[in-house]
Amino acid sequence: MAGFRLGKGGLIDRSSNLTFSFDGKAYSGHQGDTLASALIANGVHLMGRSFKYHRPRGVLAAGAAEPNALVELREGGRREANTRATVIELYDGLVAKSQNRWPSLNFDIGAVNSLASSIFVAGFYYKTFMWPKSFWEKIYEPMIRRAAGLGSATHEADPDKYEKSYGHCDLLVIGSGPAGLMAALTAGRAGARVILLDEGSRLGGSLLSENEEIAGKSGYDWAEGVIAELGSLANVSLMPRTTAFGAYDGNVFGALERVNDHVLEPSPYEPRQRYWKIMAKRAVLAAGAEERPIIFGGNDVPGVMLASAMRTFANRYAVASGKAAVVFTSNDSGYRTARDLKAKGVHVEVIIDSRKDAAADAAGIPVLKGRTVADVSPGKIVTSVELSDHTNIACDTVAMSGGWSPVVNLLCHKGAKPVWNDRLQAFLPPNTGADFIAAGAANGSMLLSETLREGAEAAAKAVGELGFKPKAAALPKCRDEAFNAQPLWWVKESHGKAFVDYQNDVTPKDLPLAAREGYSSIELAKRYTTAGMATDQGKLGNVNAIAILAEAAGKSIAEIGTTTFRPFYTPVAFAAFAGPFTGHHFMPVRKTPLHDWAEELGAVFVETGLWMRSSWFPLPDEEGWLDPVIREVKATRERVGICDVSTLGKIDVQGPDAAEFLNRLYCNGFAQLEVGKARYGLMLREDGIVFDDGTTSRLAPDHFFMTTTTANAARVMTHMEFCHQALWPELDVQYVSVTEQWAQMAVAGPKARPTLQKIVDDVTLSDETFPYLAAKEISILGGMTARLFRISFSGEHAYELSVPADYGNLVARAIMQAGEEFGITPYGIEALSVMRVEKGHVAGSELSGTTTAADLGLGRMMSTKKDYIGRMMASREGMVAKDRDAVVGIRPLDNLGCLFADAWLLAGPGATEKRA
Amino acid sequence: MPKSVIQRVSVLADVAVQGRFGADKGPPGVTLSVRHPMSIVTIIARKDQSAALSKAIEAAYKCPLPGIGESTGKNSISFHWCGPDQYYAIAQGKADGELYRDVKAKLNGLASCSDQSHGRVILRIAGPKARALLAKGTPVDLHPSVFGPGKSAATQMAHVGVHLVQTASDEFELSVFRGFAENFWEWLTEQAEEFGYQVL
Repeated sequence: MAGFRLGKGGLIDRSSNLTFSFDGKAYSGHQGDTLASALIANGVHLMGRSFKYHRPRGVLAAGAAEPNALVELREGGRREANTRATVIELYDGLVAKSQNRWPSLNFDIGAVNSLASSIFVAGFYYKTFMWPKSFWEKIYEPMIRRAAGLGSATHEADPDKYEKSYGHCDLLVIGSGPAGLMAALTAGRAGARVILLDEGSRLGGSLLSENEEIAGKSGYDWAEGVIAELGSLANVSLMPRTTAFGAYDGNVFGALERVNDHVLEPSPYEPRQRYWKIMAKRAVLAAGAEERPIIFGGNDVPGVMLASAMRTFANRYAVASGKAAVVFTSNDSGYRTARDLKAKGVHVEVIIDSRKDAAADAAGIPVLKGRTVADVSPGKIVTSVELSDHTNIACDTVAMSGGWSPVVNLLCHKGAKPVWNDRLQAFLPPNTGADFIAAGAANGSMLLSETLREGAEAAAKAVGELGFKPKAAALPKCRDEAFNAQPLWWVKESHGKAFVDYQNDVTPKDLPLAAREGYSSIELAKRYTTAGMATDQGKLGNVNAIAILAEAAGKSIAEIGTTTFRPFYTPVAFAAFAGPFTGHHFMPVRKTPLHDWAEELGAVFVETGLWMRSSWFPLPDEEGWLDPVIREVKATRERVGICDVSTLGKIDVQGPDAAEFLNRLYCNGFAQLEVGKARYGLMLREDGIVFDDGTTSRLAPDHFFMTTTTANAARVMTHMEFCHQALWPELDVQYVSVTEQWAQMAVAGPKARPTLQKIVDDVTLSDETFPYLAAKEISILGGMTARLFRISFSGEHAYELSVPADYGNLVARAIMQAGEEFGITPYGIEALSVMRVEKGHVAGSELSGTTTAADLGLGRMMSTKKDYIGRMMASREGMVAKDRDAVVGIRPLDNLGCLFADAWLLAGPGATEKRA
Repeated sequence: MPKSVIQRVSVLADVAVQGRFGADKGPPGVTLSVRHPMSIVTIIARKDQSAALSKAIEAAYKCPLPGIGESTGKNSISFHWCGPDQYYAIAQGKADGELYRDVKAKLNGLASCSDQSHGRVILRIAGPKARALLAKGTPVDLHPSVFGPGKSAATQMAHVGVHLVQTASDEFELSVFRGFAENFWEWLTEQAEEFGYQVL
């Protein structure tokens, strides 16, 4: 069957010929088509299988709300499951596959589930797979997961780029239909910064699909004029292909821009998608309204479609969904479909109107009033409908309209509930304040003139409040379509299977069952029946479900209310959230000023926090980590080694009260530290537990250079800020991180002094000129200012040399050269760890947040002559108990085997404990 | 004091190579350059000395201290607000340590000064797409009606702390910690690809 493309009209480029494939078969379509419209044009109505019963399904909607026509789009790493055929823009080379069928879409074995449908009611899984309990995880759940479910994700890496961006505006307009265009135009002309976004591939909203008349021209031509004017305004940003998916506190909106989803492959310089955070001073929701289905037997058979969708396919895509249509409606908008189809030359058999007193213009098409469709013939395409009075009418497509639901989602994302309106038979958006308001159909205004006026007024009010002076908009004259509706949720005379929620195969019988079993709260009923779950979140049938539940529970629709609306309005790919922060950009990489030097020498790097640190320096013939580490330790102990210690936190502490400040921060004394001297300091937390340690030097009476452990650098800085700002604001002290200013290297071992002597200017290094714990500014390499500290973590005769970071690599190379004659060896943090353990120095793994100074053997550092952070709490009973764990050194009696981290040591028979 | 034979090497020396990259249609949307070598000093007012510090700066450098979120001065020396009573003094064309010693001497008793010349890397971003590029990283609104030359902000881009200064109508400078500079450069240039960029 082919030939569903109408002879003329539509926003498609008939001169273009795009080739695409669906389930391996090649088809062609035009620029401007969606995958759905192109498939229908090719006579393909069967596009998917349903979730539970594997029923054949076709297109139901024409946009974002589509629950049935979900496909796997693209191949390889670009494959994307559950993509709505109704929003996929057709491009040349597009490849799509149907989902949830085996062996093929046309013949799907899973359809036997339908035969057993009487047992597959809501709550079936919970009731059936209860026993034996142990079967759930291993047998039942995997079995159910295989049977149900839709498309599958790819296991390959996504080859495309994703980006993030921030946007700012005075007015964000969500939706570019008549209300949105008027809002953007009003605000844009007033000079406000406007962002107008729309999920569609082009701006215009409903004006792209409807036959309207505005300002004496077609709605489409009017929209084109407005869009052209908006495009000429520098203060207006137009963002088609962009979905506002969430509304957040502070009038921040999340939006997804599909930059390159409409091409085969993005340019290598451009992202596929861009994730926006938009900060809007004011926002207008002009998202329109979504048509509701009617629940009758076979309302899911391919060929049954929302009336507005059928109209959209005909008007915008020049595609007829069939050769002979029946329109089934409970309101006036069904007539628009009938008239538009007739005007396009599509035969409309009859309009079935559930209202006895309907009076809309049928343009000569027969109307059966006060009648309903009970059942559609089952199968892969509609062949006839049977009315409640058993009249049979042959047709191949059915348009249905059960009224309209304003798209209130974004206005409810912050928790407010929509409000039921009896006159409109719809939930209207809640009033959440002036920052974010609805206009047009999203606000329940179904007449075009109302929509245009509301859009203009909402924008004028919003930007007026921001100080702009919008001119009273001259509202264009337009033709209004009457809108009258009566509720019709469910045709109870139906015999065949009817669906309230298409994507989850929820039938109208499931909801009364939920009510009978005690789940009449809408939140519980949603979970029990799965109505309103999955990727479409019940955009179409939710209100039907609420109405049916209300009736079963003996309550009003207003009393039942809606479930909670949450982001995301439509699904967003994880890749968009990750943006560019994948692979080694997942977290920023931080390199030390000696990185290049270490890399040249073949260092193996390890991530410590964000830093890349050199762990060891293997020689070409060395394998594993142990051999190089042992060699590095030995070389340092016997000759001289050099190690990059630049990652230590470094904080400049200055001011008249700097000494007093440090004296209160450290548990040991710093007030009396001499200028030119370094001291090991230990900091406690307020609760008496050890916080951090490091060497701090006094460079001048009012100038200290503090070091912290690598891991705690930022925490110590925060702690200092708190102590200064909250505890002792009276102290005149200033501090700033200088971690990145200095390259710092340890030079250790018996030959450390002669090595350094070769690069030091003017000074002879000796125990007299440079005694243990000396800390002085010196000159090296013919005039470079450096700082030299005689301190040791390795236990050897050692120095730490600080030079400004840009010199780091060169100075390290100079030291290597100077130490060559002594056999200088670079060592990494593994060797450093070995040496500090051998000497009993504590480090990060002992400063674990559970140890006291005494536990670490540092109890005597706690001053008794002054107050300091942690002093009081450190004296608590449990903190000074005799039986606390303690850090001890262990030396093996033999050298056999080795101890691994976290090993337990057990006393053997006759062993005695000997504490050092 | 003899001049050291060792020259400063920018952390981006091998990374920020000159040339035209990314989309190659039309003129580049942005130009990127590394300002190096620079002199940077953190100045923090001592207790109750804010007013005196301001006067001393004005007297010494003929340039007022900037207000909150602002910058003052020119290439020879500029001052940038970076926190309550905290500023960066930035200068080009000075010998290593010269600015630090000069500022420290002139502000003796009024402020604590720390040399950061090697600790931060300054990148200049200019061109018609500079704002669009920066919007991919910073939540700060850089629209001319809000921001502009003489404004500065402490912000975060690509998970890294950034000090951002607008230096001319389409020109911005970012400073980041030296250790993050290479990673930041990779991110920045990838984001600039769609506009086409020129590294000067």
